[in-house]
Amino acid sequence: MPLTRRQFLTLMGGSAGAAVLFQACGIPEKELLIDSSVEMPEDLVTGLDNWYATTFQDGLSSQGIVVRIMEGRAKKVEGNTDHPLNRGAHSAQAEAMLQALYHPDRISSPLVRTGTRGSGQFREISWEDAISRLASVFDNLSDSNKALMLSDIVNGNEKLILDKFVSTTGIRQVTFEPVEHTNLLKAVDHVFGQKNIPDFDIDNASLILSFGCDFLDTWVSPTRYSRGYGEFRQGHHHRGKLIHIESRFSTTAANADEWVYVNPGTEGMVAMSIMHEMASHGEIDTAHFSQADLSKIEKYTPEFVSSISGVSVETIQHIAEEFSHSDHSLAIGGDSASAHTNGLQNLIAIYSLNLAVNNIGKSGGLIFNPEPPITGLESNQPNSSQELMTIVDEIKSGDIELLLVKDADLYYGLPDSMGFKNNYSNVPMIVSFGNMMDDTTSIADLILPQNSLFEDWGTDVPLAGPGYQTVGFQQPVVRPYFESRGQNLGTKGFSDVLMTTAQVMNVDLELGADTYKDVLQNTARELYELNRGDINGSKYSSFQSFWNALLARGGWWDHNYKSDHSFDFGGLVDISEPSFHGNGSFHLIPFYSSAFHDGKYAYLPWMQNLPDPLSTAVWETWVEMNYKEAESMNISEGDVIEIRSSNGLMIKALAWPNPATPPGILGVPIGQGHRDGGRYSSGRGSNVLSILGLNFDSQTGALAWSATKVNITASGENIRLPKLENSVPDFPRDEHNHVVEITNGKSDKGH
Amino acid sequence: MLPGDFEFKRLKPSKKQMILLSIVGFFGLLVFTGIVIVLTFVLTAWMNGQPIIFANEGPEQPIVFPHKKHVEELGMDCTFCHRGVDKEAAAHVPTTGLCMTCHSAVGDGLDGITKMRSLYEDDRSIHWIRVHRVPDHVHFVHEAHIRYFSEKEGVEASAVCSKCHGDVANMEEVHGTEDGRVKQVEPLKMGHCVDCHKQHNAPTDCATCHY
Repeated sequence: MPLTRRQFLTLMGGSAGAAVLFQACGIPEKELLIDSSVEMPEDLVTGLDNWYATTFQDGLSSQGIVVRIMEGRAKKVEGNTDHPLNRGAHSAQAEAMLQALYHPDRISSPLVRTGTRGSGQFREISWEDAISRLASVFDNLSDSNKALMLSDIVNGNEKLILDKFVSTTGIRQVTFEPVEHTNLLKAVDHVFGQKNIPDFDIDNASLILSFGCDFLDTWVSPTRYSRGYGEFRQGHHHRGKLIHIESRFSTTAANADEWVYVNPGTEGMVAMSIMHEMASHGEIDTAHFSQADLSKIEKYTPEFVSSISGVSVETIQHIAEEFSHSDHSLAIGGDSASAHTNGLQNLIAIYSLNLAVNNIGKSGGLIFNPEPPITGLESNQPNSSQELMTIVDEIKSGDIELLLVKDADLYYGLPDSMGFKNNYSNVPMIVSFGNMMDDTTSIADLILPQNSLFEDWGTDVPLAGPGYQTVGFQQPVVRPYFESRGQNLGTKGFSDVLMTTAQVMNVDLELGADTYKDVLQNTARELYELNRGDINGSKYSSFQSFWNALLARGGWWDHNYKSDHSFDFGGLVDISEPSFHGNGSFHLIPFYSSAFHDGKYAYLPWMQNLPDPLSTAVWETWVEMNYKEAESMNISEGDVIEIRSSNGLMIKALAWPNPATPPGILGVPIGQGHRDGGRYSSGRGSNVLSILGLNFDSQTGALAWSATKVNITASGENIRLPKLENSVPDFPRDEHNHVVEITNGKSDKGH
Repeated sequence: MLPGDFEFKRLKPSKKQMILLSIVGFFGLLVFTGIVIVLTFVLTAWMNGQPIIFANEGPEQPIVFPHKKHVEELGMDCTFCHRGVDKEAAAHVPTTGLCMTCHSAVGDGLDGITKMRSLYEDDRSIHWIRVHRVPDHVHFVHEAHIRYFSEKEGVEASAVCSKCHGDVANMEEVHGTEDGRVKQVEPLKMGHCVDCHKQHNAPTDCATCHY
């Protein structure tokens, strides 16, 4: 309807008049209601915040965090300045845990499947019903050995309870990480006789030689390493030098003083060759090396290694010289260096470099982590992909009757050619403890949603500790978000659910406590009675005041209690040549996404929107490739590329040609391509893990996830790659209106 | 004679016209009175916050709460129940749990107490009706005002409240309200705020309150 000027003015005048008139009638009644709460916690002051300390476990490491709580709601996450690992720093993932709490697609009650598997049809049931169902599944097992508990790597009291539950019910337990660290832990065990990862004193190092591990972005404990890196570059000592050896140009490579391209899988040989150079100059520390070790080095002459690895002789020589002459040299390695058929050998050679300069227990070197103050709290060890392969084989033959899944997204993380996706229907009962739908939870028959990080109790003894005894404490900083749904719905803590299930099954876990909180208090009481540590029990008059101090501080640690570990070096080993799956013309190098890590954070929209440090891409799966190669194949940015491995599997990704990616290398981020994972990640991007070839490390059975060769074809489609960089175009140039450049007060235009 | 000139002779309305005229005149008077009343209502509400006509004596509350009893007779401090007033922006109505510290023992048989206790046991909140309210675009922080006046005049926090809220304890008598109703006594309009801010050299920057 066209509005004339006159009508418009009439309406304006009328409504203004009405507004004045009705303003006097007061405010709508509902605006004037004040609800007085029934009870209010003592420390709750509207408008004033409280910060509570808790611990965020992230893969092999953890961070102490403090959470800002206003009116009972979590608002912001910061690093806990007291925590020995991160000392006030925190990661983007810790920040996004707020969204894990408030995620709109969180599962708010136990669910039982009603439709076909994967159809997403579930019905809500009560906790009582859910736990009795779970208990009855246990009762009906033909053999307890046919039940399997699959979890991520756990530690602390959670691991203790899980272990007890597994051993008393007689079921089996396997850990699963989509991108495994088996080789790293096995190599550390071989070289140093340590079951956990030592602390790398990056802070005080003067030269870091890193092989394949993107330690500034994703590897093991990036928050702790980044903090150390700041000290390393700008701390009290002179600026440290970082040499990074990797086949892909990663964030760490971008930050390094020197990035050395190495052919995939030959990192170990380069390390051996560096030792060869050091030995030939008589600069190797022989405290740990036997004559047999030294004779192993002999064949890795720089000339020989150079021809295989693509690293020039001069580079090897100068790295060896710098490494042996620098005051505090440190060598670390992992990820793509370990993800080969010779991954373990690579890492043994790399970590042996530390023995060659003997930096063990020294400033700027490797600091071993002692055993935890209470036995049993230490982290469990990862299982290799080959072990999972045998599990999948058992599933195929119908030997698994019950699959319990806790934070282990098997469906997503296992390569398609392992066959889990086609055979999971052979498992009559899958139970998931996930509180978000993920690829595995959505095929489960029974879902028992666990509390999110901010709602649950816990203790944390990180696999990669700070070099002294540390027990982080996790406490509920908010009431469970779905508490309003009542006792019989909502979410519950994983450990509490296990304990209740054991009670219903009449199994005694011998924990001496009824709830998980009581278990933690018993642990805290043991710490209290140690009478040492930075939160020293002897300084507190009662256990209660110690407990409060412990929770306020975020945990217990004793910076004086260091490891006195002595070890026998397991010896150097020969490095076999890497073998690759398939005969494609490109090396496919999947890499940990800095936002999603191995994919577990893809459901968080903040993480989806976190730009990759190199490409600045968001919300998508892209493929890094060399720009000249792309040009020769007529591929430009945003072209949809089909990446095909030799087993016939294919994913699509958007091309991101750039000069930094070496020729013959395709870098694809891990983490997208979830079939199910809430509204922000379902069906978004592609899962590079799915097309990997089954190629294992011959000694450890770890999946060689960097050893697949692929072919690419452009599908002809082009989608604009969403990225932060260059999203604003240049201003158009106006030829008639020159911008006068002012230099030294003179203008060369002479206007 | 000019056309339109007053013609006296013609002014002899018929009976019918007389009736019509009186009816029209009557309605005209009604409309005029209506306009006067509405304008008084609007203008006084605009200027004072409370219209001087049609204004009720404070809203009726779900529970009759006698301020007089608690403050005047028992000598309780304002801040005992309105705990946020010297700590934060909002003064707060007390939680039912706070009421129950005394009323789990005293006040048997009173209607209000019975109602409050049953709500407490059912874990339900009391829906009080707000008496004082500034618009959403105004931030009023109780804590700052209480601190300023109690420091300046050397009085306790509870002695400051009456500057804006009037003698709440004796409101029943002073304003003749019944049922312990509390009424707004100051306009709480911007002019009122600014006057006081000027008087006490407080900032009158827009962003002082509108942020």
